[in-house]
Amino acid sequence: MASTLSVDIQRRLESFTLRVQFTIGAEILVLFGPSGAGKTQTLQAIAGLMKPDAGRITLDETVFFQRYPGQPQINLPPQRRRIGYVFQQYALFPHMTALDNVALPMGRGREARRRAYELLDQMKLVHLAQRMPHELSGGQQQRVAIARALAAQPNVLLFDESFSALDHAVRTQLHADLRALQAERGLIVVYVTHNLDDAFAVGQRIAILQEGKIAQIGALAEVCRFPATLRVAQMLGLSNIIKGRVVAVELDRLWLEWEGYRIEAVCPSPPPAPGSWVTAFIRPEEIRLVYPDRPLTRFAGHNLLAARIIEQRPGRRLNHLWVAVGAMTIEIAHPYTAYIGMDISAGQDVQIGFRPESVVIIPDHSPQSVPVYSQVSHHL
Amino acid sequence: MSWSAFWLSLQVTTIATLCIVLIGLPLALVLARRTFPGQIVVETMLMLPLVLPPSVVGYYLLLALGSGSPLVEWFQIRLLFSWPAAVIAAVVVGLPLMFQSSRAALSNVDPQLEQAARTLGLSEWRILWRITLPLARRGIIAGVILGSARALGEFGATLMVTGNIPGRTQTLPVAIYDAVQAQRYADAHLMVLVMTGIAFAGLWLVRRLEQRPKSQTMIVHEDLYGIHVER
Repeated sequence: MASTLSVDIQRRLESFTLRVQFTIGAEILVLFGPSGAGKTQTLQAIAGLMKPDAGRITLDETVFFQRYPGQPQINLPPQRRRIGYVFQQYALFPHMTALDNVALPMGRGREARRRAYELLDQMKLVHLAQRMPHELSGGQQQRVAIARALAAQPNVLLFDESFSALDHAVRTQLHADLRALQAERGLIVVYVTHNLDDAFAVGQRIAILQEGKIAQIGALAEVCRFPATLRVAQMLGLSNIIKGRVVAVELDRLWLEWEGYRIEAVCPSPPPAPGSWVTAFIRPEEIRLVYPDRPLTRFAGHNLLAARIIEQRPGRRLNHLWVAVGAMTIEIAHPYTAYIGMDISAGQDVQIGFRPESVVIIPDHSPQSVPVYSQVSHHL
Repeated sequence: MSWSAFWLSLQVTTIATLCIVLIGLPLALVLARRTFPGQIVVETMLMLPLVLPPSVVGYYLLLALGSGSPLVEWFQIRLLFSWPAAVIAAVVVGLPLMFQSSRAALSNVDPQLEQAARTLGLSEWRILWRITLPLARRGIIAGVILGSARALGEFGATLMVTGNIPGRTQTLPVAIYDAVQAQRYADAHLMVLVMTGIAFAGLWLVRRLEQRPKSQTMIVHEDLYGIHVER
C-alpha cells in the first residue's frame, strides 16, 4: 500500500517558532540539523506526544491533528495513531523481559507471545527473549525496542537519535537492518539525527532543519551536490567555500575572480549578473595536484592555481592536504597512493587544478551573508 | 496484657491503612504528574501532621468531629469518643508518610517510559497498572508500611478524641499509658514488647525494600547477535 504522511505544523518554542511542512511516502526521510533545531519536537508532534499550536498532520485519509481557524479541531491521542517511536535511550520497560516488552502492545495470551517471538526472531534476538533489559547490550536493547515498536503494526516508524549512543559497527548493522525492514514492510520512516554519517547511511531523502524551519529538502545526493544556502553547505560540512566576483558570463560558463585568479565554473540558472559577488564551494576530493613533469590533459586551460603546501594529515578514508592559495587556505583530499612520487611536504610549491564542474555556485538566499568564508577548518 | 486493646488496635490500624492507601496513592499520583498553582501549599498541608505536636492534631480533630462541626450539625454524624475517631486520627498522622514515600517513587518513574507506552497503544489505565505502579512499587509499599506503623503507634491525638474507654476505644499505645499510670508493670512490659516487635518488623521490611536487588556487575561485550557476559 502506498501511504503518505503529510505534516504541516507550527509551534512556538522557547527561542524560535517551529514551522515545518513536508510529505513523505514509503521511504526513509532523514531529519537532519543541529541539536535544538526542532527535530525531536517534530517527531513528538507526529506521534501525538506534543501538541502543535496550529497546523495539520494526516496519514492518508486519517487526520491525526488539525487546528486551523474556522475548522473543527482534531487531536488524536498517541494510542490511536499507530506510530512506532524508537527513543535514543531505548525506553524499554525495565521490569519486563525482552519478550514481555515486545508482547505488551499485543495484549495477553498465547497469540501475543507467539507473535512477540516472531518479531524477536526477525530481529535475531530470540535467544535473548527471557533477558531483562539491563542484561542486554545497547545494540540488543535497541533491537528489542524496534521489535516492540513493530508489535503495534505501525505504518510509520520514528527514530529519534536512536542509534547515536551505539558504536560504529553496531550502528552500521542496525542501519542495514533498518533499510531492509523499511523496504520489506513499505514503512514510512522518519529518522532524526545530527550525525551526517548516519544520515548518509540510511537516508533516501533529507530535510535539513535549522531553527525550526526546513532549510532544504530533497534527495541526499541532490542536497549535497547543490546546497540551497550557504548555511546548508556549512551544516553539511562542505569545505573550500569561497566568495568571488563574477567577471564574465557566457552561455553555460561563468568566470569568477578570486584571489587574483579567474576561476571557470558551470553557470547556474538563473545566471548571476556580471559584477555581483557569489559564494561557491569546491569539493576537496575534486582538486588535484598537477605533476610538474607530466603533460596537462583534462585540466588544460581550466583553473590552474599556484599553491604552497601548509600541512598534510592522514584521514579515515583519504589523505588531506591544506594548501595556501594567496591568503586563503584550500583543502585537498586524495587517495593514499596518489602523489607518491611527488614531494608534498609542508612548504613545497605546487600547482593545483580542478574542473569547472567542480565549482558549485550556492544560490544566495540567505539574508545574513557575511563575507568571511575561506577559513577552512583544520579539524575534520 | 489488655487483649481488647490489642484487637482494637489491629482493627483501627487495618482500616486506617486501607484509607491511607486509597487517599494517599491518588494524591501522590496527581502531585507527582501534574503541576498547578498552590501545589506547594497543598503538599505542605499534607505533611503538616508529621511535625505538629500530637495535641495540636488532636485539638483540630476535636474541632472537626465535636459538636458545632458541620459533620455533627449537618449530617448528624457523631464520631467523637468512638473507635472510628481513632481511625481518623491514625489516618491523619499516617498519611504524610505514605504520601511522601510513594510520591518520590512515582516521580522517579521516567516519563519517557509512559510516552513509549502511549505510542504502543496502551490505554492510560493499562499504563498505570503495567508500567507506572510496578516501577514505583518499592516506594509505595514502603509508604504503606511506614504509614500503617505510624497509625498503629498513634497516641496523643487518639487520647484526645477517643476518650480512652477501656474495652471500647482504648488502643494499645493508650493502654500502655494506662498500665503505667496504674503501676501494672507486667502488663506494660508485655504490651511494650509487642509494639516494639511490630515496629521492628515493619522497619526491617522497609529497609529490605529500599535495598535494590543486588546488581551483579556485568561486563557485556557489545556483540550483535550473541552475548558474552562476565560476572
